[in-house]
Amino acid sequence: MLFPLGYAFWLSLFDYDLGSGSHAFIAFGNYTDLLSDSRFWASLNRTVGIVLAAVGLEFCLGLAIAYGLYRLTFAVRVLNLLMFLPNIVTPVVAALFLRWIFMGRWGLIAGTLISLGIFPPDFLGDPAWARVAVVLADSWQFTPFMILVLYAGLNTVDQSQIEAAQIDGAGPLTLLFRIMLPAIRPLIVFVLAIRLMDAFRFFDTIYVLTAGGPGTATETITLYTYALAFRLLQVGKASALGVLTLLFVAVLVAVMIRVVYRREKGAF
Amino acid sequence: MINRRRLLQAAIAAPAIIGAPARSAGTIQMISHRYPALEYYAEKMRTAIPGVAVNTQLMPIDKAIELATIALSAKADTPDIVYASDTTFQTFVKNGWFRPLDDLWARYADEFALADFPQAALDTYRYDGHLYVMPHTLNTMMFFYRKDLLDQAGKSPPVTIAGYRDLAKSLNSPLRSGSINCLKPVDAAVNETHWYLNALGDGWFDADWHPTFNTPKSVAAIEMLKDVTGSAQQGFTTAANDECAIAYQQDTGVMGLQWATRAKAMDDPAKSRIIGKIDWTAPPQGHARISGDGYAISAFSKQDPAVLFRIIATSASQASMKGAASLLIPPRKSVLDDPSLREANRFYPAALASYETGTPAPKLPEFNAIGEFVTRRILQAVTGESTVKVALDAAAAETETFLKGHGYYKG
Repeated sequence: MLFPLGYAFWLSLFDYDLGSGSHAFIAFGNYTDLLSDSRFWASLNRTVGIVLAAVGLEFCLGLAIAYGLYRLTFAVRVLNLLMFLPNIVTPVVAALFLRWIFMGRWGLIAGTLISLGIFPPDFLGDPAWARVAVVLADSWQFTPFMILVLYAGLNTVDQSQIEAAQIDGAGPLTLLFRIMLPAIRPLIVFVLAIRLMDAFRFFDTIYVLTAGGPGTATETITLYTYALAFRLLQVGKASALGVLTLLFVAVLVAVMIRVVYRREKGAF
Repeated sequence: MINRRRLLQAAIAAPAIIGAPARSAGTIQMISHRYPALEYYAEKMRTAIPGVAVNTQLMPIDKAIELATIALSAKADTPDIVYASDTTFQTFVKNGWFRPLDDLWARYADEFALADFPQAALDTYRYDGHLYVMPHTLNTMMFFYRKDLLDQAGKSPPVTIAGYRDLAKSLNSPLRSGSINCLKPVDAAVNETHWYLNALGDGWFDADWHPTFNTPKSVAAIEMLKDVTGSAQQGFTTAANDECAIAYQQDTGVMGLQWATRAKAMDDPAKSRIIGKIDWTAPPQGHARISGDGYAISAFSKQDPAVLFRIIATSASQASMKGAASLLIPPRKSVLDDPSLREANRFYPAALASYETGTPAPKLPEFNAIGEFVTRRILQAVTGESTVKVALDAAAAETETFLKGHGYYKG
C-alpha cells in the first residue's frame, strides 16, 4: 500500500508530462497550480455535492428499508438477499444497464414514456438531470450496503430498552429515533465514513453514464484526475490531484470521527 | 542416461527452446477505432499472412486513443499495429511512440504498388520529413439530409449555415429532430466545432498558435452552433458518430454533418429504415473537417517490423481497397479513378465535393489534448451552464497555459 502511495507522491513533485516529454522536479508546483485552477475547485464542489446527495439518499432509504425489514415478521432473508443484488453487480456492468435505462430517446424510461405520448427530459444530456441520474445510479447500487449494515445494527439494540420504551407508550418512530439510532450511532458513523470514502472515488459509473458531461456537469475530482492523466497526459499534476483527494477524504473522515468521539467518549 | 543434473539442464533449457519460437511467432496485437471500413480492414489484417495470428481490438475512437496512449506511454510492447488519424499520429510521433516507415516503404514499394498513394495523402502523415502511417481512408464530413422530407416540404438543401439552422427549426418535431448533432467530447465535438469555427469564425489558431476560437467572429460561430442544437436530437451532447448514424438510420432526424464513411450504412437494409431516402451534399459554406485513417507500427513492438508492414500493406492493397470502396474514400489513385466504383457508390460525388471544400485539423501535436478542454467549455455554453463568450475565453486561457507548458510562445 505504501509503495504506490509513495510513488504517486513522488510523481506529484515533478512536471511529468508525457505530451511535452518534460520530467523536471518542481517540488509543490503541481499543488499550487491545482489550488489556483478553477476546474479543480469546480470539480471538488461538484464531487462534494454529488457525494452528499448520493450518500444522504442512500442513508435515508437504507434506514427506512432496514427498519421496515426489522419490523417485518416474514420473508426477511429472501428480501434481504434480493435487495443486495445491485451491490454485487460490477459497477461498470451496472452502469451499462443504467445507461440503457436513462439514455435519451432509445432508453427504457424515455422509450416507454414516448410510446405513451410523453416526451421526457434528456436524462444524460441535460446538466441538471445528468447529476440526478448519477446520484440515482450510485444510490441504486449502494443503498443495499446501507440496508445490510443498518439492519444488522438495529438487531443488536438491547431488547429490554425497546420493551421498556414500548411500555412507556413509544410509537415506531419514537423507538427508531430516540432509542435505536442513538444506540447504533458508532455503526452509523462507520457506514457513513465507508460510503463517503468510497463515493469520493466514484469513477466507473460516471465514466460510463456521462463521461463527466455534458460539458463538465458531472465531472468529479476522479474524472478530472483521469482527464489530466490520460487525455492531457499530465501525469505529475494528476498524481498531485490524487494525493489532494486522499488528504481531503482523510480530513473529512477524521472530522466525522472526532465529532462523534467528542459527543460520545469511548465510541472509538 | 537421465540423472538429476540432466533433468536440471533440460528444465533450464526448455523455456528457451519452446519459448523462443513461440515469442517470435506470437500473436500480433492491433488497436483500432471501429466503424464499418475499419472493421473490413481489420478482417484483412487477420488473414494477411497465413500462419501469422493478428488479434484486432476495435473500439470507439476515444477508447482506442486512450488505450494506445496508456500502452505506448508505458513503452509497452503489446500493441504492434496502432490506428492513427491525421491528428493522433502527430501526438504519438512527437512522443517517439511510432516507428518511421520510410525504409519499409522503399523496400516494399513495388510489391504493394505503393506509388499508387497520392502524395497529398502521404504528406498528411509525414512528421519532420518522415512517413509514419500508411493511409487506409480519406475521410471528409459531408452534409447528410433526408431528400424525401425536404422534397415534401418543397425545400432544397441549405447553402448557408443560417439556412441550415432555419430549415432544421422548421422541420423539427418531437419524434424527428430537425438537426442531428454529435457533440460528445472529444473527437465528435471537435469535428462539429471545426466546421462552425472555420466556416463562420476565425478558425482555431493564428500562425503563432494563439487561439482564435474566442474572437468575436468565432464567438458568433459557436452561438450559431448553439442555435442549431435547439433543433437537435435528444442525447446530442453524448452522441458520437455511432449514435448519430443510428439516429439517421432509425428515422429520428432530418439532417446534419457526418463522415463520408457512414454514408453507405444509410442504405444497409439490415440496419436502416431509410433506404434510398438520404442524400448528401458538400457542407453549407464548406470548411468541414477532412481527415483520414491509417495504421502505424509501434516503436516498442518486439515483432519483426517487416511482418507488421506487410500486414498493414496487404490490408491496404489495391484489391483490398476495391473491396472497401463502398465504405470509404480510398486513398489509392487507381481505385479513386475507377469509373465503375464511382457509379456504384452514389455518395462519391458529394464526398469528393466535400473533400475539395474541406479544411484539415490544425497541424498541432497537442490538438487532441486541447480539444479536451475546448469541447468541454463549448458544451458548457451549449447546455446553458455558461455564456459562449465566457466559455471560449476560459478555453483560450487554458489552451495558452497548456501550450506554454509545452514550449510554445517562446520569444
